[in-house]
Amino acid sequence: MSVQVNSMNRGAVRSDLLMTGFDDAVQDAQKVFRKVLKAMSEPGTILTADLTDKTPGALNKSSWEIALTLFDADTKIWLSPTLAGDDAVVSNLRFHCQCPMVSEPAEADFALALADELPELKALNWGNSEYPDQATTLIVQVEAITNQTQDNDEGWCLNGPGIETERGLTVAGLPYSFRRDLVNSRKRFPLGVDCVFCADDQLVALPRSTEIKPSDSEEGIRNTIQQEAN
Amino acid sequence: MSSQLSSQLNKPATQTAGAEGYNFAYLDEQSKRMIRRAMLKAVAIPGYQVPFGGREMPLPHGWGTGGMQLTATVIGEADTLKVIDQGADDTTNAVSIRRFFAKTAGVATTEHTADASLIQTRHRIPERQLRNDQILIYQVPIPEPLRFIEPRETETRKMHALREYGAMQVKLYEDVARFGHIATSYDYPVMVNDRYMMDPSPIPKFDNPKMNQMPALQLFGAGFEKRIYAVPPYTRVVSLDFDDYPFEVQSWEESCSICGSDHSFLDEVIMDDAGNKMFVCSDTDYCRERVEQGFTAENPEGQQGLTPEHNQVQQENKKQDDTKAEEMAL
Ligand SMILES: [Zn+2]
Repeated sequence: MSVQVNSMNRGAVRSDLLMTGFDDAVQDAQKVFRKVLKAMSEPGTILTADLTDKTPGALNKSSWEIALTLFDADTKIWLSPTLAGDDAVVSNLRFHCQCPMVSEPAEADFALALADELPELKALNWGNSEYPDQATTLIVQVEAITNQTQDNDEGWCLNGPGIETERGLTVAGLPYSFRRDLVNSRKRFPLGVDCVFCADDQLVALPRSTEIKPSDSEEGIRNTIQQEAN
Repeated sequence: MSSQLSSQLNKPATQTAGAEGYNFAYLDEQSKRMIRRAMLKAVAIPGYQVPFGGREMPLPHGWGTGGMQLTATVIGEADTLKVIDQGADDTTNAVSIRRFFAKTAGVATTEHTADASLIQTRHRIPERQLRNDQILIYQVPIPEPLRFIEPRETETRKMHALREYGAMQVKLYEDVARFGHIATSYDYPVMVNDRYMMDPSPIPKFDNPKMNQMPALQLFGAGFEKRIYAVPPYTRVVSLDFDDYPFEVQSWEESCSICGSDHSFLDEVIMDDAGNKMFVCSDTDYCRERVEQGFTAENPEGQQGLTPEHNQVQQENKKQDDTKAEEMAL
């Protein structure tokens, strides 16, 4: 973990790693915001954010564009180890967003993570009952997102505000324990973590208000929950 | 860093279509980001009031900065904006706000509900059903439904946290005891997604049922108290009531004197010194649309037995003809 801590504390921006942000900071941020707003108000709807050509280091397009749109000096950011150790990521976030980095996920307004480096859900801030909005927003870079739920054992059936009847969603590559904890976290609404999953230039959101039912994998998740309980 | 790279990276926020010296839609980018973040939380916790910071938007008094800030934060070049005040597009406020965003954001504006992507409103929900590709932005004076029961914010926060809404039920029931029915006719409280009690802003309770399962996203902005709350599309919104006194909307014996509508919210208009009055649709665009479709006070069922659908088709054809005529004129 020493790599992570070092880069977190490194104040300097490496100018040789900097790249341009949006072509048009005002218009592009507005466009990306509307995508995120649509995603968050219609959970499970997959949208495309494709306004940048290149991204710093390991960031994918949609997570980079969300960062440019929502991060600034007022938002504390936690990065998962690989991202925190990636000078290109850290330098560009510092330069373009001026956002402070924190080493504890619980302190973060936004946590930005690779799918295989997710913090435990309970390690993030879930808000409190009087101010549930103070919770962390979790942005996860994943392999793929699709509304297909057949032929895989990771499919979800979504219900709740923003969904007219029901919507299927598969987020590929999330650890089992995270999927299980996310499903269980719904019991604590209005506390919880709002998630945005980013795959290349695609994004999909799962706010805490969305009920998640594992579809095909129902048995599997139930068994896991059972095992954990025992 | 090379000066070339430096200037490239420090590309200033461009003034794409805005007026000279202003940021796009007048609001600075930092305030927009702050409001955007609050808006996403509001959407994630339907009906819950999210506080937001940011600077005051320097606007003439009476414009209602909450709705303006939300519109300025959401709006983009591709949008078409409609603004209504008490249902009308042609009041001083509505016209001023439309002009303001036409000037500072260069967006198209419209009076037609069907043509708008963003609708900023004070005190009404359009009669025409809104679509999923539209956003309705409410101007809110007092965001806290429990405020008149409990003035302290710390206490109302606790009441929401514990879902302690009995005091509101008592208040409404006092109405029943005094008047024999629930007298509250504006600002009528609702429960959102069975969790948060929400103030729908001073719309008539006639409009409350339109909020339930609405396909459009509904955003609420209170400028003075700096609160944002939201109802995502297709969300359950239920007006408070009692088993023995169910929720009821206002109704009129009269119909609209212009379009003959017997199902819209009517304004009473005094005609002369003798006190003669007539009733007309509060939603001026809805009334206009009906008149164009052939509905009149004398013929509230539409032209010569044609169904509204027929009239709609006729209207579409006429619209296309008009467009063609305009193109040819150009
Ligand atoms: Zn009318």
